[in-house]
Amino acid sequence: MFSFQSNPNASPDVPPLPLTIQSSLFKRRAQSKETGLDKDDADYDTLPNDNEEDISNSSLYLDSAVYMVRSELEQKLVMQKLDAAHQYQQRYGVTSGMSLENMLCSRCGDGFEPHEKIVNSTGELWHQTCFVCAQCFQEFRDGIFYEFEGRKYCEHDFHVLFAPCCGKCGEFIIGRVIKAMNANWHVKCFLCDMCKKELADTGFIRNAGRALCHECNAKVKADKLGKYVCHKCHGIIDDQPLRFRGEVYHPYHFNCTNCGVELDANAREVRSRPGYAANDMNELYCLRCHDKMGIPICGACRRPIEERVVTALGKHWHVEHFVCAKCEKPFFGHRHYEKKGLAYCETHYHQLFGNLCFVCNQVIAGDVFTAMNKAWCVHHFACSVCDQKMNQKTKFYEYDLKPVCKKCYEKFPQELRRRLRRQHEATPRKSPS
Amino acid sequence: MNQTPVSCIPNSSKMSKAKKVLEEAKEIKNPELDLSDKGISSFEEMPGLLNMLNITRLTLSHNKIKSIPPGLANLTNLEILNLANNHLEEIPVSLSSMPKLRILNLQINRLDSLPRGFGAFPVIEVLDLTYNNLNENTLPGNFFMMETLRALYLGDNDFEHISSDIKNLKNLQILVLRENDLIDLPKEIGELQRLRELHIQGNRLTIIPPEIGNLDMSSNKSVFKFEGNEWVTPIADQLQLGITHLMEYLRTETYRIMYHRYMTSQKPEVPPPCIDKAKKISRNR
Repeated sequence: MFSFQSNPNASPDVPPLPLTIQSSLFKRRAQSKETGLDKDDADYDTLPNDNEEDISNSSLYLDSAVYMVRSELEQKLVMQKLDAAHQYQQRYGVTSGMSLENMLCSRCGDGFEPHEKIVNSTGELWHQTCFVCAQCFQEFRDGIFYEFEGRKYCEHDFHVLFAPCCGKCGEFIIGRVIKAMNANWHVKCFLCDMCKKELADTGFIRNAGRALCHECNAKVKADKLGKYVCHKCHGIIDDQPLRFRGEVYHPYHFNCTNCGVELDANAREVRSRPGYAANDMNELYCLRCHDKMGIPICGACRRPIEERVVTALGKHWHVEHFVCAKCEKPFFGHRHYEKKGLAYCETHYHQLFGNLCFVCNQVIAGDVFTAMNKAWCVHHFACSVCDQKMNQKTKFYEYDLKPVCKKCYEKFPQELRRRLRRQHEATPRKSPS
Repeated sequence: MNQTPVSCIPNSSKMSKAKKVLEEAKEIKNPELDLSDKGISSFEEMPGLLNMLNITRLTLSHNKIKSIPPGLANLTNLEILNLANNHLEEIPVSLSSMPKLRILNLQINRLDSLPRGFGAFPVIEVLDLTYNNLNENTLPGNFFMMETLRALYLGDNDFEHISSDIKNLKNLQILVLRENDLIDLPKEIGELQRLRELHIQGNRLTIIPPEIGNLDMSSNKSVFKFEGNEWVTPIADQLQLGITHLMEYLRTETYRIMYHRYMTSQKPEVPPPCIDKAKKISRNR
């Protein structure tokens, strides 16, 4: 599927180019190196196809590769490290009878001068000046070249022209190449589309044009079915899930904290105890044990209170069940007024129990003047005849349970005052003013 | 020749007093106007008053005002109108259309009647008609239609009966019928569920309808004044023990039967008027 050639790079030096092909010294030297230089076989490894049926491109990895390429196009590609001496030896092992006149440069087609340096690679000969990169016409650095379709390129130009680019970051890929989803990737760039986990070593599943890890794929599948995925086994939950610490599970993964029975979806999560961080101390109980645990019972609906508890009137209440006894609206933390074991909102408490100002008929917000079975806002307490404001110290008379200042009282008809005085003397219970 | 009438000096000075208050109020845009005890005898002494549309309270108590111009009703922001202790003999019906009038004080005047349609106040809460010359025959037909009324003061008038229409005053908390000539009470008072003050002292009452027992008059938030009536013995006995006892007694079957008997065969004698009303200044003409 893809070929790979590694370069052990045993002799990075500029190869000592043969001076003359007959040179015994050259022969000898070439021979001495022969044993140490074995053309490496492609050493690669494909990731075995994932178990998943829907995998379209197996993800691949190659170990210990210094350089790694892949793809159909590379099947033709032959990478070679030039080892002139080695090649020379090989070549001349076969063509030792060849004369200088028969030898032509593979590039320019001219012959060679008798003492000219000749470069031999894979059986072909070049003038030293002709043995250059097909792209930049420079000599090969360290004698390393890459060959593609019969042309030789320096490392840089080969990368530029043919090395795989990462489908994500667009950079050349040196080292492991992940070939997947019809593109090439750096290991670090080939990630799960949802959770961004590296997929190189775990395999992936193509899902609607995305690469997903197994877990995310399961989630997506479950979502499509409208079902939850168990946070523990990652399997789809077909029946009712059990919620615990903010995740969903198959209930059968858990047992009751108290009696140990395997739980079902009716199990109750008891939330953290005071003094512990939220959800830290959550525990699961079967319904039976949970009901016996002394959870507060709402004074209105008689059901256990699992969220916020309001404690008032000596009872516990669901927040939404602690309501005004008159209008039945929940207080939701607003002030309530208690009277005879019942709670009232401000408006209805005052409406029912009297602290409405006699003059403005509004709930009295600040201090209250109370007298003669009535109440007043401080600034509405006034003489009922002349409307002059009065305070605690002002003396006033009571007249039909209305306050009358002294001045006004003295302006009352004498006949009336006499009657009032008589009446007052007849009922010496409360002394007005 | 150049003598000025002596009486003119205090008169003009009082007039200027009222004017001064008006000017001041206009200047500082005070919405509450106090013209109590300014010797005013006519609205003509208060020029520009009817144009002060911003005022919410007008107090004219302790003056000598004889009549109110219907145009006063143009003060559409007025919430409190106090004409206590004046010489009013009649009032214009236009007052009843004042859209914001909540408190109307007409006590200590000389009203013999109220105009037809008087009960049309849209938001009236407190109506004080104490110390006038009103009776059941001089009230307009819609008098007990003022559903918003919280307090009705009819003390010191000449009522002998109260219409059963009083049951329409659903919001009534205070009912004062002190020192009238009441011979009986309508049983419909028992339907006034919010009533917490009932003054019936100084009348000619002998029996109480059992329905009054429905009222919560024995709580400490309620006041029930009943002295100065010629109560039949069973009621007088209960009152000796206290209001709670009376209210419980009114609810008993025993009293129900007795009341029925009082109403049919054994009518108690109606006591004579106990107050000499001839001396009331509301009778002055």
